Amino acid sequence: MFFYYLKLAKKSLLQTPITTALMVLAIALGIGVSMNALTLNHVRSANPIPEKSQQLFALQLQTMNKIGTRHTYDDMPMQITYQDAINIQRMSSSTRQVASVKTGFAIQMEDPDFAPILQAARATQSTFFEMFNIEFLYGGSWSKAIDESPDNQVVIAEELNEKLFGGGDNIGKNIYLNQNAYRIVGISKSWNPKPKFYDLNSGQFQRTEQIYVPFSLLPVHEYPSWGNNNGWGPEKIDTYQDKLNSEIMWIQYWVELVNNTEKVDFKHFLSSYVQQQKKLGRFERDDARGTLRNVEEWLEYNEVVGNDSNILVGISFMFLAVCLINTVGLLLAKFLKRAPEIGVRRALGANQAQVFLQHLVEVGVLGLLGGVLGLVIANIGLLILRNQFDGFDVLATMDMSMFIAAPVIAISATILSGLYPAWRVCTTLPSIHLKTQ
Amino acid sequence: MLKMNNINKIYRTDLVETHALSEFNLNVKEGEFVSVTGPSGSGKTTFLNLAGLLESTSTGTYELDGINVVGLNDKQLSKIRNEKIGFIFQGFNLIPDLNLFENVDVPLRYRGFNSKERKERIENALEQVGLAARMKHLPSQLSGGQQQRVAIARALAGTPRFLLADEPTGNLDSLMARQVMELLEDINKSGTTIVMVTHDPDLARRAERNIQIVDGQVCDFTLYQNNKAATEHAISA
Ligand SMILES: Nc1ncnc2c1ncn2[C@@H]1O[C@H](COP(=O)(O)OP(=O)(O)OP(=O)(O)O)[C@@H](O)[C@H]1O
Ligand SMILES: [Mg+2]
Repeated sequence: MFFYYLKLAKKSLLQTPITTALMVLAIALGIGVSMNALTLNHVRSANPIPEKSQQLFALQLQTMNKIGTRHTYDDMPMQITYQDAINIQRMSSSTRQVASVKTGFAIQMEDPDFAPILQAARATQSTFFEMFNIEFLYGGSWSKAIDESPDNQVVIAEELNEKLFGGGDNIGKNIYLNQNAYRIVGISKSWNPKPKFYDLNSGQFQRTEQIYVPFSLLPVHEYPSWGNNNGWGPEKIDTYQDKLNSEIMWIQYWVELVNNTEKVDFKHFLSSYVQQQKKLGRFERDDARGTLRNVEEWLEYNEVVGNDSNILVGISFMFLAVCLINTVGLLLAKFLKRAPEIGVRRALGANQAQVFLQHLVEVGVLGLLGGVLGLVIANIGLLILRNQFDGFDVLATMDMSMFIAAPVIAISATILSGLYPAWRVCTTLPSIHLKTQ
Repeated sequence: MLKMNNINKIYRTDLVETHALSEFNLNVKEGEFVSVTGPSGSGKTTFLNLAGLLESTSTGTYELDGINVVGLNDKQLSKIRNEKIGFIFQGFNLIPDLNLFENVDVPLRYRGFNSKERKERIENALEQVGLAARMKHLPSQLSGGQQQRVAIARALAGTPRFLLADEPTGNLDSLMARQVMELLEDINKSGTTIVMVTHDPDLARRAERNIQIVDGQVCDFTLYQNNKAATEHAISA
């Protein structure tokens, strides 16, 4: 019977092409807009590193004095100072942790004809790759020794390797970063966590850096920060070394703690560190402390999934509802106009359930068409977002679940809106319609 | 075949109650061809709707082919309609966007026949009414008489025991009407019970039995005739 209903649905939809087009368009617009909002929200609220999100912790330290203030709700700075990064690492060397900061270079190649390109980079430590599960196509990270005694080594990402060399194993070759030669030790696989949780300062949905250099080179090459440098008091900073010794907060710091014991221990260590520094005249506040937030808490703290994004989803679904209410009206008119035919069908032996199903199938087909067109509309919308706004290129992309969700939502929503019209046609007395013809 | 006892049908609207049928009694035997006549608004169509299970009654008993149909649910009633009853309407009531083949197919689909059996039955039925050659035509491409023949083919395709016709010739000229009538007579000869409402006294007379409905009641024909004769006699005397 289902195929018979499908056949009837096709006939009926082609019978009134304009009404059909209007209904499909209404559903498609509603679906398109809500899919758009849902996609943005979905990507925003996605867990960028589900396998480890409970074990990775962003470290924050309340190093400011009473005058200093940050815009977080608990007044904690998002980044830490260079000196704290170095101290903490020295004093708790058994714990896996990583300091990093965004910087950037003009890249040149040995080929003098190569036009220099400007690229963001990350100065970090070898643990970065292990902690964030970054895989390698060729080679690997620089060794742990380099984290102590700096050397011009570099890891480049797959995409940059394509761009510079056209791909392939280029371990051992040199590239020039701000005119210094660096030896390639690893080519990392493409890695694009959404959101870019490990550094939310410079765009929550920006692409990851394509170049990784040892953090230990910071004092050597005096890399500038391409992110925020937050100070809170008057400090005299003339040299790069002054900056390294200062209270300026510019380093992102992550700790890996695999179980609760490790977490408790590390918290102990942090409070003892704060006490020790207090004795040295730093950490002036009464509430001076260190805090740890796992990835999910960190995203929430940074308001990655903002309230406005949820409101947007809500509004877009209201729009969908308006579109569907319109569809209910059109369906009702269409179905009731066909009542004489239904009277005949009933007289010839169709029961109410069969008439009901016949109409739901028709509505389902409408929903499917609307859903597919809605997907097209949603993708056009996302394309516009990607092209018009910076930082949307990662954010505004649909994943598989969205491609499945759109038609499913469309079909169920239209079937929902078809329930009443279908019920109306199947419950009216057939004899009334037979007389009217 | 059909036994109705003490049937009442009241239509209630906000303003009025219409007693479309009251204390209605009728017995139609298997294989009979009964014509039903009566003034407009007397309840003929109402009777057919009840007989055809398109409407239900609140009082009385109705037995169709040995089944007590009062109180059956929609699914059971629909099944009986589909298997045992064929309908022919004054307005033909073909589905305009289905071609002849598909129109005749409608009751067979709900019957659940496979496509081979449906095809056979459709072709036979259209053959019987002389329209097999026009299977792919739409109803609008046929004359009124041809459309009514398609409707008859549709009513016959499921080989019903019982055919209900509401003024099947009402929209046809006399020649076409006679053709349709002949078709119905043939069908009756092959064993199908027919109840036909008509306004045409000539056609009504051709049926085996004629009943009159007046004010929602079956008017005993012989009694009526006698009364009429008596009255005429009295007047002429
Ligand atoms: N759905 C309805 N609602 C209210 N009253 C109705 C309804 N259907 C029929 N009636 C009333 O019931 C009475 C019988 O109607 P019915 O259609 O059975 O007459 P009929 O004998 O078929 O007349 P005609 O020869 O004109 O077709 C009429 O008075 C009519 O107005
Ligand atoms: Mg009538």
